[in-house]
Amino acid sequence: MVELVPSLLRQELARLAEENQRIDGRGRWDSRDVSLETDCLYNAEGSAKVVIGGTVVYAGVKFELRTPWPDRPTQGSLMCGAELRPVAGRKYEPGPPSPESIELSRVVDRGIRESGCIDMESLCIVPGEKVWGVMIDIHVLSDQGNIFDACGLAAIAALRTAVVPAERFDVGEDHTLQVNGTPIMASFTRVGGRFVLDANEQEELGGDERIHITLGDEGHLHSLQKGLKGVFTPAEFAEIFDVAQKRCVELRELVAEKEGN
Amino acid sequence: MGGYGDVQLLNDDGSRLDGRKVDEMRPVSIEAGVLPAADGSAMVTHGLNVAVAAVYGPMEAHPRKIQRQDRAVIDVRYNMAPFSTSDRIRPGFNRRSREISKVTAEALESVVLVERYPRSKIRVEIEILAAEAGTRCAGITAAAVALADAGIPMRDMIVGVASGKIEDTVVLDLDKAEDNYGQADLPVGILPNTGEIAFLQMDGDLSPAEYELAMEYNFKAAREIHDIMVDALQRRYEGGEA
Repeated sequence: MVELVPSLLRQELARLAEENQRIDGRGRWDSRDVSLETDCLYNAEGSAKVVIGGTVVYAGVKFELRTPWPDRPTQGSLMCGAELRPVAGRKYEPGPPSPESIELSRVVDRGIRESGCIDMESLCIVPGEKVWGVMIDIHVLSDQGNIFDACGLAAIAALRTAVVPAERFDVGEDHTLQVNGTPIMASFTRVGGRFVLDANEQEELGGDERIHITLGDEGHLHSLQKGLKGVFTPAEFAEIFDVAQKRCVELRELVAEKEGN
Repeated sequence: MGGYGDVQLLNDDGSRLDGRKVDEMRPVSIEAGVLPAADGSAMVTHGLNVAVAAVYGPMEAHPRKIQRQDRAVIDVRYNMAPFSTSDRIRPGFNRRSREISKVTAEALESVVLVERYPRSKIRVEIEILAAEAGTRCAGITAAAVALADAGIPMRDMIVGVASGKIEDTVVLDLDKAEDNYGQADLPVGILPNTGEIAFLQMDGDLSPAEYELAMEYNFKAAREIHDIMVDALQRRYEGGEA
């Protein structure tokens, strides 16, 4: 079945691309406005709200005490999960986690985990007996495009403002979670034949593959993901990688502002 | 309800631990139109509770077996975010959220003019982001504002409020400690203009006289919250950001 609206939309997006324009008037590497709020939810030990255009995402950090894995007795654990619940948009339906939400969770998780910003040894309380399990849950409330960047930003901002609730668990004094770095994701979508930064809902509907790049403070790559059908050239990657470097610096500064650094 | 009388919940002067009077509710603020992807939405902050509701539709009801020839069906999902409580909640369905979803849907079907939209479905998604006692009521209030924001006709608004009993005293709007250690909880959904009740649950122990007083408090609070709901919708549609 030919989906009528996306095929008309694709034609329009291709026409706009030829004129080097975007459907909402932005330049190719322009982002929509990004706003970040932290410490916004009472029961979460760290929390963040990110709004990018019409996309709204919350992240909350919770801690639990657990016994360490036998082969890693001095290491705690980190888990990051994103839920694409039906609240997020007309296209989302109830049911078990979709492949899309699993991909989203895992891409965000990898970016944070692989950057090494959480030292798993620092989560150890009693070797072999008691370690912290850190859980970041991301809740997408409104999807109007580029939920990946919104989720990645919300997750790291919530983590960087988290307080370990040691007193409640009777294992010492509450203290801020030690986070060494601010990994940031930048996502690109092929729209009308060329990549753009921060695709909106229409650009995703009428676009092709997407590439997610997570960069650490030194500009090193920590996670890459290509999603959806399509191919790209090394030259195209080089182009978006340059943009990703700038984008990540900007968003990292936004996180630092919220921490008051 | 949790324990009985083993935790002090009232100060010596008769005020509550957080300083409220017995018939005083926690501060409530409401914002309409908070989720751009939804047809209608609202965020309700009630004390430390944060509830967000999104409305989609009316839309085609599928699968067809859920269709009703003479009216719309209202599909409600009440869900608590994993980080909304002190101990993390494992994501997914549980019996509590299913029951709340069901009775909330039935309450909303009693106020929405469902006969206007035969064979269609209206989706109401209630997400609890922070939970400190009273989330089902905050969810109902949020859903009502979201339905109005979506332009769906209703006979009246519906306001979620609760009263209860602590230390043998009827009080309005239990907070977390009062809910955990109190003696009764009476959450209701009130139609403020018609004075009818579309949502009713209760647990604990109330005498008939205590029930009357608790309900009186609930009606008083419903009128106060109704003003805040109307104000939120007016701010949304009078020159504010659309």
